[in-house]
Amino acid sequence: MSAFVVYLLLLKAIASSFAGMGSLPQIHEDFVETRHVLSDEQLSQAVLVGRSTPGPVGAYVVAVGYLAAGWPGALAGWLAMITPALAAIPLVVLMQRWLHLPRVRAAVDAVVIASAVLLLSSAFQMAGDGIRQFSIVFTR
Amino acid sequence: MPNDGLWLAACFPMEPTTLTSTGKPFDIHERLLISLPHLTWAVARDVNRTLGGGLASMELLRRTFIANGALDEESNGGLVAVSRLTPGTNVLAYCVALGWRLHRWKGALAALAVASVPASLVVFVLTATVVQFDRHPIVRMALAVGVLVATLLVFSSAWFLLRPYLYVSVFARTAVIVVVSGALLLAGLTPVRILLLSAAVGAMLGGPMPSREDR
Repeated sequence: MSAFVVYLLLLKAIASSFAGMGSLPQIHEDFVETRHVLSDEQLSQAVLVGRSTPGPVGAYVVAVGYLAAGWPGALAGWLAMITPALAAIPLVVLMQRWLHLPRVRAAVDAVVIASAVLLLSSAFQMAGDGIRQFSIVFTR
Repeated sequence: MPNDGLWLAACFPMEPTTLTSTGKPFDIHERLLISLPHLTWAVARDVNRTLGGGLASMELLRRTFIANGALDEESNGGLVAVSRLTPGTNVLAYCVALGWRLHRWKGALAALAVASVPASLVVFVLTATVVQFDRHPIVRMALAVGVLVATLLVFSSAWFLLRPYLYVSVFARTAVIVVVSGALLLAGLTPVRILLLSAAVGAMLGGPMPSREDR
């Protein structure tokens, strides 16, 4: 997989989430289920490495990029991680105009809650994979 | 303390979309109180020394910049709101907004770089190392345990996202959104569509989540 495609897929996942780990369900769908670039085990490794490191939780996408396309993929992962953050600048201005509207705030709250539900779904998938892997390794 | 980030996140939960503590919009045009190198160093230090997610880093940044007079609580509330509204990693959005507020583009780019590059380099090196050795039996055992730990961490991430919405006064609304998004998930919709439809449901239900003072 080319680094550019990795960038676009990761950017899609990150830009449609509202938390560091919120991109995980979309990444799982694109990289594991649809394109079969990563296995469940590799994605779990990426999450583990990302969460074991001080700093932003979302940095696990660098590991995803590396596992999918080597060091260019890691670079693509870093770029995909930082690109959406630049949207904070226009939002600082827009927020003063729009966020006081109850429906806008309610929509944002709903997105955060739905992100949590999607994360729980991913966590259950990871749990199944983790228990399977654990039993294979420790029963040999 | 290695996990002080988790501890801080547990002790200082932040409002999901609160404008400011008093409900007033924050002033984005405050005078510059700290230099660009000071801003860069403070962001690098506070973001890259926490485990446990963005809330912990944001709490450290809040303490640092309120202590040196560059921020007040209301301004920080505005930055937190922006970080929750911005797609992607919250703490990076917070750093960009903070840097832009204090030093415009130079500040935003410097803060974004120092908040993201060190952790990304560590992740890159660690991943490359794990890939080199993951066929070794001991490494595979460690990874098997690690995957279970990672699963717990993802559960904790979901909990930290959901926790601010579990107060009695907003529980019914939260439950409706959880049920709707869960049903859409079971129906096989993609995450993007689930988020968009959940946003529409949230907007239809209307009304912001009450601030902590209202609860």
